[in-house]
Amino acid sequence: MKKVLYIELENCIGCRSCLAGCTQCGGHEQRNRNYVIDVNPFVDRQTMPMMCLHCENPPCARSCPVQAIQVHETGAVLSAMTEKCLGCQNCTIACPYGIPKFDVEQNLMYKCDLCIDRTKDGIPPMCASVCPTNTLQWVTEEELAVKKSQFRLSNGMMASMEDPYLENKTNVHVSLPGILEGKEKLF
Amino acid sequence: MQEVKALKEISNVNHPNEELIKTHCSYCGMQCGMNLRVNTKTNKIIGVEPRYEWPVTEGKMCPKGVTAYQQTNHKDRLLKPLIRDDASKKGTKEGFREASWDEALDLIVKNFKALQGKHGDDTLSVYSGVSMTNEKCYLTGKFARVALKTKYIDYNGRFCMASAAGGSLRSLGVDRGSSLPWTDLHQTDCLFIAGSNTAECHPTSMYRVWEVQNRGGYLIVVDPRETPIARRADLHLDLRPGTDLALANCMVHLLIKNGRVDEEFIKQHTNGFEETKELVALFTPEYTSEITGVSPEKLIRAAEIYGKAPNAIVMFARGVEQQSKGVDNVSAYINMALVSGKIGRPKSGVATFTGQGNGQGGREHGQKSDLLPGYRKITNPQHVKEVCEVWGIKPEEMPGPGVSAYELFELMDKKEIRGMYLLCSNPAVSAPNLNFVKNAMKNLDFMVCSDFYLSESAEFADVVLPTTTWAEDEGTVTNLEGRIIKINRAQKPLGECKTDWEIQIEIAKRYGKGKYFEHLKTAKDVADEFRLATKGGNADYSGATWEKIEKQNGVFWPCNEENVDGTPHMFLDKKFYHPDGKAKICALPYRPPAEEPNEQYPLRLTTGRVVYHYLSGNQTRRIPFLKDMCPEPYVEVHPELAKKYQIEHDQIIRLFTRRGEANYKVKITEAIRKDTVFVPYHFGHEQSINLLTNAALDPMSRMPEFKVCAAQIEKL
Repeated sequence: MKKVLYIELENCIGCRSCLAGCTQCGGHEQRNRNYVIDVNPFVDRQTMPMMCLHCENPPCARSCPVQAIQVHETGAVLSAMTEKCLGCQNCTIACPYGIPKFDVEQNLMYKCDLCIDRTKDGIPPMCASVCPTNTLQWVTEEELAVKKSQFRLSNGMMASMEDPYLENKTNVHVSLPGILEGKEKLF
Repeated sequence: MQEVKALKEISNVNHPNEELIKTHCSYCGMQCGMNLRVNTKTNKIIGVEPRYEWPVTEGKMCPKGVTAYQQTNHKDRLLKPLIRDDASKKGTKEGFREASWDEALDLIVKNFKALQGKHGDDTLSVYSGVSMTNEKCYLTGKFARVALKTKYIDYNGRFCMASAAGGSLRSLGVDRGSSLPWTDLHQTDCLFIAGSNTAECHPTSMYRVWEVQNRGGYLIVVDPRETPIARRADLHLDLRPGTDLALANCMVHLLIKNGRVDEEFIKQHTNGFEETKELVALFTPEYTSEITGVSPEKLIRAAEIYGKAPNAIVMFARGVEQQSKGVDNVSAYINMALVSGKIGRPKSGVATFTGQGNGQGGREHGQKSDLLPGYRKITNPQHVKEVCEVWGIKPEEMPGPGVSAYELFELMDKKEIRGMYLLCSNPAVSAPNLNFVKNAMKNLDFMVCSDFYLSESAEFADVVLPTTTWAEDEGTVTNLEGRIIKINRAQKPLGECKTDWEIQIEIAKRYGKGKYFEHLKTAKDVADEFRLATKGGNADYSGATWEKIEKQNGVFWPCNEENVDGTPHMFLDKKFYHPDGKAKICALPYRPPAEEPNEQYPLRLTTGRVVYHYLSGNQTRRIPFLKDMCPEPYVEVHPELAKKYQIEHDQIIRLFTRRGEANYKVKITEAIRKDTVFVPYHFGHEQSINLLTNAALDPMSRMPEFKVCAAQIEKL
């Protein structure tokens, strides 16, 4: 059954386990490939993960002059192929989310590949495996549909981010903070 | 929430030439399940894989857990015994030389014997910890009393779980941290969590906490800071540090006033309700608001929610426990469950968040100054007799009760204690009032420290013994639920390292006490004797064999002939562990913290953890990822307070109390009270906040008041 990465920002506690987990994938040279951001550090403890959203038509790949960034059949946008990458950093500029990282010493771009060694076999990526809060979840399309219908804001908008995203549709789906707003209480 | 069933079907990645060893994390009481990746050619631990099938945490890990494996083959590991001949270098890292085990152990025995010959058996002390297996904790108690024959043994749980233990014993007659399994948490209707920074200290509980809210249930958090869990709570009671007792009394007052008490339950299963009712009458929301600083409306709303909830769980942690009235705070919060009858059934109950990996098991089996295995009392002749039969000594040979951890340092200061055997703990960072404590350690005639890194405390030792990390030995620990689980060995001990139980047996043999110890050849041998020694005690592990633990995903104590599979839910029969089978509702008059702010020291200082570090930081400060994320301590200051002192973010200021001082970088945040400052406690030497903290002890648990004292800031 196809599963997708789904992000519920409201849950994040800023533990950065996802980043620690990222280093442990086995295919990541022990380097983490995403970000966790303090949203408003002088005010509260709200944090959010900035993960690669794996665009369906990824600008990082589009901007690459040598097609070093491939899209896997699962939809995962892979890290640059080391033998092809020129180190031009087009991708780091093209990505509206600022995801691709650049290794100056190796002159090489690297980014989240959705733990392709795991996810190609149906095993959840490390970030979603270890996330202690279910901010990062590995869910089926059906579970995702339920989430989208559940999280409706008081103004009629969906808390679940629908397209258009900053670029185009993405394989990773996000619920903005506010998922509890319309929640009917048990008592 | 993702179904447990679905998660169980997840397989792990198997890399070539690797095997996965199922075990649990080395750090906190959550004891998250994990698989260690071991290279089969080199027998070295090289990584971690989630343990999806572990029912408590389902593969989840915090950043400490993910990187825990990096401890074992770390470059800082001690690989050989160290001896320091020049005592003038005590208190520094200098002057150590490598030595053989024979030389180190002979030197220890020679010095220990000389001290005891001159000053009596009780001149030696054993200071232990609970980040190690039940088997090691058990043997340490036996080692102190049978081999060294000293009454002075205590452990770092005095700085962690002692108040929770004291409160549970008084209220419920038994000290199992949680009355129900963690797998109930997300199914309850209301979580009332006091003094727990759960998101940072027990992060893998959080998906269950959020699930309560996702289901439409309520989350109430009591904390002076808006911690990440408080940020999302339905209700955040932002009380002044050290005023929990008033707040809990107010909750009981309002539950009674609102008619949210279970009269039948109170009558049948408790004592003490009438006195308590009379006492809490004073604690109106308005009166309580004056003490706590929490608005009356919030107090009323909190009691309304907890009272209405069909099922609710009251939870607490060090925030309420590390006070000079920690035991009273615990009993007062347990009162909420007892008057409303919300205990002794699934999805309702009380629980403390156990701080250390084996904080639960480690306190039950004889490392505490007044306890023997199976939670027996050393002052009870029958209990002593039962344990003596297992140990093969005469009851008159059993030393009496000793003193608590902090009091050991007081006796060192008075030269009543002249020697110390320290293991699994780092009091040079974790004890309160550190200037005094470090001086006491420096003045010891002879000190041994067993650790796998050269800790801040090892700097005071004459001999340092290289011991193993958790992944190089096997045995059981008891997690925060009261579930006995199995730690497995993933790698052979590095260098010349020995396990703590092996070291103690070696010393016992040299002490001429071999006959009590030599039959213990493996960790399993220790486990078998340990289980036998617990038989018949309250914390009865006799039925918890390693095979049963493996088969059942852990075994909840008590596990004995009556409860062969163990006891996930306590008190289902509404029988509590006091002789009359009833729980005690406690009438507890409010008293303020030992130190209240005044003109000279107008601020309240509180301390705690960050998510990236564990306890004294001796382990986590060496892990690159964790160090990068939190390299140094800081002081959290509200912007209004900062304005008053004219200090800015990242500016270094001097923070001081009556006992000590330290310089910290300011971290401006609105997520703290305006009258309170916070500093994390994981750092050593001149960065230790415990240079400043107050050693005022709880009269029952002897827990120091880490969580509140009066402080002042000076601009540099």
